[in-house]
Order: sequence, then structure tokens, then C-alpha cells
Amino acid sequence: MEYIITILTFTGITLIGVLGSYMVTGLTGLFSFGQAAFFSVGAYTAAVLVKDFATPFPLAVVAAMSAGLVAGMIVGYPTVRLRRDYISLVTFGFGEAIIALLNNSTNLTGGAMGLSGIPRYTSFWVVWLSVAVCLTIVAGYKYSKYGRQCLALRSDELAAKAMGINVNRVKLVTFLFAAAMTSYAGVLYAFYTTYVEPGSFGWIVSAEWIIIVFVGGINSLTGSVFATFLLTGLPEMLRFASEWRIAIYCVIVLLIINFRPVGIFGEFELSYKWLRQLGKKGAKAA
Amino acid sequence: MSIQQLLNGVSLGSVYALIAVGFALVFNILKFSNFAHGGVMTLTAYIGLAASLFFSRWLSGLPLFGATLVSAALAGAIVGIVLERMAFRRIRNNNSPVIYYFISSITMGILMENIVTIFASSTFYSYPKFFELSVVELFHVNIALTDLLMLVFSSTALMILLWVLYRTKIGLAIRALSFDVNTANLMGMDSNRVVMATFIAAGILGGVAGVFLGINYTLYPQLGQLIVKGFIASVIGGLGSITGAMIGAVLLGVLEVTLISAVGAGIAPVFVFIIMLTFLLVRPRGIAGVIVQEKA
Repeated sequence: MEYIITILTFTGITLIGVLGSYMVTGLTGLFSFGQAAFFSVGAYTAAVLVKDFATPFPLAVVAAMSAGLVAGMIVGYPTVRLRRDYISLVTFGFGEAIIALLNNSTNLTGGAMGLSGIPRYTSFWVVWLSVAVCLTIVAGYKYSKYGRQCLALRSDELAAKAMGINVNRVKLVTFLFAAAMTSYAGVLYAFYTTYVEPGSFGWIVSAEWIIIVFVGGINSLTGSVFATFLLTGLPEMLRFASEWRIAIYCVIVLLIINFRPVGIFGEFELSYKWLRQLGKKGAKAA
Repeated sequence: MSIQQLLNGVSLGSVYALIAVGFALVFNILKFSNFAHGGVMTLTAYIGLAASLFFSRWLSGLPLFGATLVSAALAGAIVGIVLERMAFRRIRNNNSPVIYYFISSITMGILMENIVTIFASSTFYSYPKFFELSVVELFHVNIALTDLLMLVFSSTALMILLWVLYRTKIGLAIRALSFDVNTANLMGMDSNRVVMATFIAAGILGGVAGVFLGINYTLYPQLGQLIVKGFIASVIGGLGSITGAMIGAVLLGVLEVTLISAVGAGIAPVFVFIIMLTFLLVRPRGIAGVIVQEKA
């Protein structure tokens, strides 16, 4: 039971990270390889503040999210106005730079040894409550004016511009939103594992989140949530083939991209309306 | 800055140029950043190691080095073909949006890294010592022999590439395709073959770069992450421009060597990143100044 709860908690934390990637990739069509770096920014900021400066936990959370915002601004501001490739390249470089920075400011972050002895403030319930809140926010965002604008500029940036959408602003806002949320996920992670090290926040983690979004279906939030369970659960199920599991996981992704490019869920969203229709159909059949 | 450092920087930059050009070649045609290129470098570097151990029974010194390079390059070409068939052919035929190429290339990159981890485990390997002599003196400047070879071989490879691109028929086809895929198809070009040729060329460059990276650092499965140097070089030089990528790479090499001696190896990536950001703020199209339009 303990084991399952731990896995579910980690899944929840990953889910928040994936939600951030969903906003950046799924809604806006940008590729950020630095989401894991925002994660580490949040984790380290809060951990150092609480551990070394005895800041109260809620204040540290706010500080961590602000740090994520500032980092997002530094990376996002110069790049959103350029071709989309640049944001992938720059966030990639940002990830490397953050790891180098964490590794080298040894007296503050513990360097490559990691930072241990962080108090444990988060639990299963805190994580899943946060997931619920984040999910509501992202779903709301998707159907808000901003979300619609994101979808418009993802399909055709030029047309979106012509319709009077301030493309750069919308991109930046979404990017910052995701950065803040991912930093929050980082805080949850740090205060759950009580130990953070720079090595676990490489670009592979960010890439995994994007892949999860893709497997679920780039247009579907439901798909992202489902795929998070599937793909973070799958490695656990494939533990008997532990060496091969990431390879298997890659092959699955390749198959999905080649043969079902819209992802598992396509455009589908789980909604109240859909459930009601399903109920009606069920009633008729019975 | 001494001439010594300048030389070291240029030879490091020449390897970065190999990475950046292999990356720019694919970018030119398919208009996406090929993250699988890192995986190609890792895989071929290990194949090169295997080849060097195999050939060391009969050869030594320069011939062994040459044999290693050639086998890694050949392996790179094969990996390029497989990569194109497995990851991009179908997507291209479906006319999928660019994001699918991205995902495909990232996945292939991770897959290749994992295959290496599975077969070679995550321990560190190093290439056998190719030469007795390790330092040569050239015009009163000491230069490591491997650095010198890196410089010579990388520039030769790049020269050959430029010759192929600008003086042969297939090079013309590659350039035409990078300019406009549809028109090239209408003119009766077999775009599948040209894309394949591009991936082969990129694979060969990746193979040579992989061996040099393996010699310069040690061999480990995450070697491919050095692809970020290629990216930064491309950003400085101008995305999609091959000559720009070369210039950017050499600049990056010199810059890095200088930074390492000034602030230390650990923190140098942070400065490189800041320089890249400033570049994007001030001159986003890079040195070469070509603006690549996002396709509507």
C-alpha cells in the first residue's frame, strides 16, 4: 500500500509537470526542453529558503513560483518573437545552464552531491489536491479567450496575427503560466522526497513530458492525464524488463506517431455532456 | 589571449562545426531541429570504439585512426538511412506538421541513447591511444596531436561536404529541395532519395564528430547531449545556414576555451548561455543573417 501511494504521489507530481508541458506544447505548439529546469528552479528555491533561511513554507512556495516566473521571463522574452525552433533550442540551453549553475554553487545548493535534509511538508493528499486545482486551471485556460487564441496561433500564426491576436503576448503569457506551475510541481517534489540533486532534471525529463502529451493526443487534455497514468505506470509494470523499458516506451511512441498521429485520444475531451450522452445510450441499450 | 588558446579553440570549434553542420543539413531540408543527431553521434562513437578495438590487431597509428574514422562514418551513414526510414519517411508522406518531426527525432534520440546503455552499460570507455607522440610543436606553439588531427580531419570533411553541396548534382538537388519542396517535386525530383542522401551526409558527419568527441572526452551514453553545442553554434551562426554554422562553431570553440580559462569549466555553460541569449536579443538571425520563414 505504502508503495502504491508513493507511486501515485509521484504520478501526481509528474502530472502537474505534464500539464505545464500541455499548455506550452499542446495549446501553443512550442517545444520547451527546459520544463524540467523550471521544476528544479522551484525545487531548489523553496528548499534553500526553508532549509537555510527558515522561511515559512507558504512564503517559500510563493517565492519559488516567482523565481520560476523570472526564469521564464528571461528565457521567454527574447525567444517568443522568433521562429518556434528557437524556443526549443534556448530552453535546451537553459536546462544545461541551470544544471551547471546548480552543480557549481556548492555552498548554497550542495553541488552535485545534492541538497538533502529538506523537511517533508507534502503528502499524497496535498499533491492530489494541487493536481485537482491545476487541472481546473488548465481546463479553464483552454476554454478561455487566451486558450482559444493559443489554439488559433498554433495552427496558423500568420492568420492569428491577421485576426488581431497579439501572438507574442499570448505565447509569453502561456509560457510563464506553465513555468510557474512547473516550479510549483518542483516544490512539491522537493518537499516530498526531501532530497534534490541536479542530475535528475535533465532535458530527458522535459522530453518525456512532451512525449506524454503527444501520446495522449496533442489536442486533448484528457489524453494527457490518461497518458501520464499510462506512461508513468508502464515503467513500473515493465520493471521485469528494467533495462529495456525506456527502449520499449520509445518504440510505442514511434508507433503511435507513425500510425495514429493524433494520439490516443485525438480531440476527445471527457466532459459532463459526454457522460450524460453515454448514460442515455446505456439506458436505451438496456 | 595566446595563440596557444586560439589554436585549441579553433580545433574544438572544428568538431562543433561537424555537429552544427550535420544538424543544419537536416534543418535545411525538413525545417525542423533534428534532436536525433545526438543519438547518432553516441551510437557511431561506440561503433567507432568497437572498430578501433577490432582493427588494432592489425593496424596501429595513423592507419588505425583512419580505419576507425571510416568505420564510424560508414556506421553513421547506415544509421542515417535507418533513421530516415523509421522515423521520418511516413511522417513526411502524411504531410504531418513540424511538431511530429520533433517528437519523432527526440524519441529516436532517446532510443539510440538507450540502446547504447543496454549494450555497453553506462560505464565510461575511452579510445585506445592512437599515437606515441602526444604533443607536436608547430611554429613554437605546442599543440596536442589529437587537436591537430581533429582540426585537419574536420576541415577536410567540411570541405568535401561543401564541394558536394555546391559542385555536384546531388548537392544541387539538396539545395533545391531545401529551397522549395513542392517545386522540386514538380520538376521531377525524387524527394525521397534526396532526403535520404541528406540523412546519409548528416550521419557521416555525426559519425566523424562522434569519434572526435569520444577521443576528446570519454565515451559515455549521454555523449549525444553535446549536440547542444551544435545548436548554440547554429544560433550564433544563423539557423539553417551551413557556412554560418561553421563560423558560429569556430567562434563558440574559441569562446569556450577562453571562458574555461577565465572562469573555470563548470560555470562556463552559464556564460555561453547568456551570450546566446544576448545574441538572440540583438541579432536573432545570427551572423549569416538568413531569416528562415515559418511556413504558414
